[in-house]
Amino acid sequence: MKTFQFIIRDPVGIHARPAGLLVKRAAEFQSNITINGNGKSADAKKLLKLMGLGVRQGMEISCQVEGADEEAACQAMKKFFEDNL
Amino acid sequence: MKLFQNLFTKDSGLGIGAPVAGTLISIKEVNDPTFSEEILGRGVAIIPTGTQVCAPVDGTVSTIFPTGHAAALTSADGVEILIHVGLETVNLEGRHFTIHASEGQAVKKGELLLEADIEQIKAEGYDITTPIVICNSDEFSDIHGAGPGTVSLGDTILNLKK
Repeated sequence: MKTFQFIIRDPVGIHARPAGLLVKRAAEFQSNITINGNGKSADAKKLLKLMGLGVRQGMEISCQVEGADEEAACQAMKKFFEDNL
Repeated sequence: MKLFQNLFTKDSGLGIGAPVAGTLISIKEVNDPTFSEEILGRGVAIIPTGTQVCAPVDGTVSTIFPTGHAAALTSADGVEILIHVGLETVNLEGRHFTIHASEGQAVKKGELLLEADIEQIKAEGYDITTPIVICNSDEFSDIHGAGPGTVSLGDTILNLKK
């Protein structure tokens, strides 16, 4: 299992557009990808769950990646957060 | 529209009602690629004339953004529906929206979720087009939007097949 932490910089947090893009990116990998934040946890491939986290600017999230392609998936998720959130 | 409603209700699909009164358009016409390219899922959009945003199905409120600009519901049949009132309206930070439901609440079709002061939102320069998107589109074999035109609250705007 791979994990990383990230502090959200986007002023409105994980809202509709970044959540949608995140789901698309996460769906390219077989690994299970879980985002923990704001005291909740969500499958990164489930849009409503992600938006339901209510993660806002300044909050720290942790991302857990587990599966056959976890190395690549973790890299991709890291890059996604850096570029979009 | 009655004719279409009858056609829709005859087959065994799952119908999604209009959450707001207005003019139904294709999602492809929405001036935001997040929606028009169906990144969040398939759907339709309504240019609202009404100000009350209501539950499009019987179900549970999954998410109401604290800014009041969007709500998501999960229907009793497992359809995940996102209603996003206006484009880029997250930037209004809650202005002109009043929240009437809470996360986890069970709602009946037609129950009030949000109120949006459409005129004020327009006055601030925002596009009020309201996409209605099926977030778990992949779980359905067919998602069919009703034809463009005027819709009243609750009119069937989308029909889904498992």
